[in-house]
Amino acid sequence: MSGPLAGTRGIVLTQAWAGSYCSSLLGMLGADVVQVEVRKRPDSWRGDYAAPLAPMLRDIETARNPWNCSALYNSVNLGKRCITLDLGDERGMRAFRRLLEHADFCAENFSPRVMGNFGLAYEQMRAIKPDIILASLSAYGHDGSWANVPGIGGTIEPSSGMSALLGYEGGPPLNSGQMYPDVVAGYNACAAIITALRHRDRTGEGQFIDLSMQEASLAWVGDAFLEYATTGRQRPRMGNRHHTFAPHGVYPAAPADGEGERWIALACESEEQWRALCDLAALGWAEDARFATPADRKANEDALDEAIRGWTAGHDRDVLASRLTEAGVVAAPVLDALEVAADPVLRERRVVVEVEHPEAGRWPQVALPMHFSRTVPEVPPRPAPLQGEHTHEVLAELLDMSADEVDELVRAGVSGGGPPD
Amino acid sequence: MTSSATNHAGPRALGDVRVVDISYSAAGAWTSRLLADAGADVILVEPSEGHPLRRLAPFTEDGTSIPAMNLLANKRAVSLDLDAPHSRRSALDLAKSADIVISSHTPSRLKAWGMTYAALARPSLVMCHVTPHGMTGALAEAPGNDLTAAARSGWASINGTTDREPLKPAGWAASYCAGVVAYAGAVAALRWRDAHPDEGQEVDIAEVEVMAGAFAPAVLGSQYRGVPNGRRDPVADGLGGPVEVADGYFALTLSRAHFWRDAMNVLGLTDLAEDERYGVSWYRQQHKEEYTARVLEAMRGWKKMDLFEELAVRRVVAGPALTMEELHGIEHLRERGFWRRSADQPDGPDYPGPAYQMSATPQTLDRRTPRSGEHTLDVMRTVLGMSDGQMLTLMEQGAVGHGYPESTEEQS
Repeated sequence: MSGPLAGTRGIVLTQAWAGSYCSSLLGMLGADVVQVEVRKRPDSWRGDYAAPLAPMLRDIETARNPWNCSALYNSVNLGKRCITLDLGDERGMRAFRRLLEHADFCAENFSPRVMGNFGLAYEQMRAIKPDIILASLSAYGHDGSWANVPGIGGTIEPSSGMSALLGYEGGPPLNSGQMYPDVVAGYNACAAIITALRHRDRTGEGQFIDLSMQEASLAWVGDAFLEYATTGRQRPRMGNRHHTFAPHGVYPAAPADGEGERWIALACESEEQWRALCDLAALGWAEDARFATPADRKANEDALDEAIRGWTAGHDRDVLASRLTEAGVVAAPVLDALEVAADPVLRERRVVVEVEHPEAGRWPQVALPMHFSRTVPEVPPRPAPLQGEHTHEVLAELLDMSADEVDELVRAGVSGGGPPD
Repeated sequence: MTSSATNHAGPRALGDVRVVDISYSAAGAWTSRLLADAGADVILVEPSEGHPLRRLAPFTEDGTSIPAMNLLANKRAVSLDLDAPHSRRSALDLAKSADIVISSHTPSRLKAWGMTYAALARPSLVMCHVTPHGMTGALAEAPGNDLTAAARSGWASINGTTDREPLKPAGWAASYCAGVVAYAGAVAALRWRDAHPDEGQEVDIAEVEVMAGAFAPAVLGSQYRGVPNGRRDPVADGLGGPVEVADGYFALTLSRAHFWRDAMNVLGLTDLAEDERYGVSWYRQQHKEEYTARVLEAMRGWKKMDLFEELAVRRVVAGPALTMEELHGIEHLRERGFWRRSADQPDGPDYPGPAYQMSATPQTLDRRTPRSGEHTLDVMRTVLGMSDGQMLTLMEQGAVGHGYPESTEEQS
């Protein structure tokens, strides 16, 4: 393993997005992350055991098991190993507790009551490994009256105040196209665990990290809260507009090959950028009194946006974005997900890399969005693991179990892969 | 429980760390705010006209920038103009005294200033760059912001509705996400240096890449399906986000069989609850048109907190769309001590608490947002060891900005 966390190990019970992405980031940073999964209740992001294969996988010979070919799972579990253990079975729990003795950190994103039900609450875990770091990502945190109220990204987004801020001017609140609070929680939990590792290294003391997705998301729109706290105002939904700068928006570009939508994002944050935009457009905006000063442009933003829309709509998105960028204007094409996978800059920087998955095949994936000059992480990272792919390997390596002993766990249904018998 | 009671005394995760922040961006400011909250002594180097964030709306009635109030809190501020050679010399000395330097500047700008990692020439230094597009590659010198990060990362392509233009996420999404990733990278590099003295390094975080990382499920899912994820159809995806209820908006995310069954029973749609086909998520997703209109109609008869409580009892995931005022009144957040005030401004506004609570090394908010250059003289004296005479000379040369000794300044 390489990367700044080489030499550390996590035994994790993460699932879905927030927890899985947190532990995946740690794995891509060089930690040995062992995902422990329960076949009877598989990671929801693996999908149903009987779910149909995605269309582009149907002709791939190795793509046989839907639970190993889920895009959701395979996208947020890079850099990890996976074993299966039934924690409801005494033998599975015994193995798990022995694994914890080899862990620097554990992470999970169950409801707060679950770990206690397993006998694995933080204090109980400390009895097994005194300096363990446990990160718990839950909807509303481990105490307070909503502690055991369930939630996911799509419900935390409204309950954290985020949805009230996202939307078109005058329109209803929206949720993001994906469940953005999961991302916020995943990145923050990764940061918290790294912080706790440093403290553990210096003092020998582990700790408990209590991440409430509601709080993490609310902290992410903290200045909107401060606006309320200092002025009594609820910030309105602003679309793509900015409090200070205009123009600041997403505008139509000429359709590609005459069909389909294309958009360009464009903003001016200084007079130099505004003059550069005016020069490129050559439509007399620099002489238009409505747009003379930043305050004028903000006051006449509807007219300004209308003028820009009329101009951009006749231009090729990528050519215009390049010209604007070269002129120093803040601009970018609005890429769709397939274009992101093919983006030359993300590929040049090795953030989008080809990852060979044993069942789903070879696909460009977004890997670690971090670069280190000395402790360079492994690129491409290990692909997302098959369910139970590393059970024999990990139990032999960490618990010194023989192949026969592991086979016995499989025969008993405590481990294995795929739908339970 | 009262609010604003969460400044704990105790060990600090980064209490031994000095950070010099020469960044001018929201992402850089959030990186160093997180480092400060974890206990680092963060020295913010701002130009003589003030940090660019101080000019960003919205403002309080006394003209204070609210984004700056949040992003610059918990730091000491020195006024040093990096474009002026005399002033820059002091900034270089400060940077060389640091464990971590945070920068948001392009490679060419750092080179022109003589502030590249190589020029700082301290083997133990961690220098963390947090920029729109990263320090290498075709876009390293290109300007960017939260809007363009949302565009290039793909996020805008799926935000909003099909009848309108793509939307960036609300607020400073790319800046905050890049900020916490930069924080994580800086602390990881610091931890490495702790164990390997003189093995500092550069950490390079690009806002667009952090947002692309957050877009990974859509990138792979779109390839597996052969078509890119798109924005929501406001009619066909009627349950895809908050929907209208009697007193606002409410999100019902029906991702599991029992969520569906129990929610339909609460809404009085017992025939839908009992139809086993809808217990399977992929089937439910593919047959939305069969039930969406009825569910929406039933929800309109409920008040959002009543429906939330009713569903919470049944452990069904659901979320009322709350405003900031409503959130400030939620007892749960008070019970957890989420709101907090700066330790040096107990009559000041409540701030949101940290994104996570750490049992052994809690984050604290010790300092209110500094005035521009407020700690210049203090830092020059205590960090760079300057005498009063040396500082007077620098001030006469215009090399340091309008900092005032803290003891002579009124606290606002």
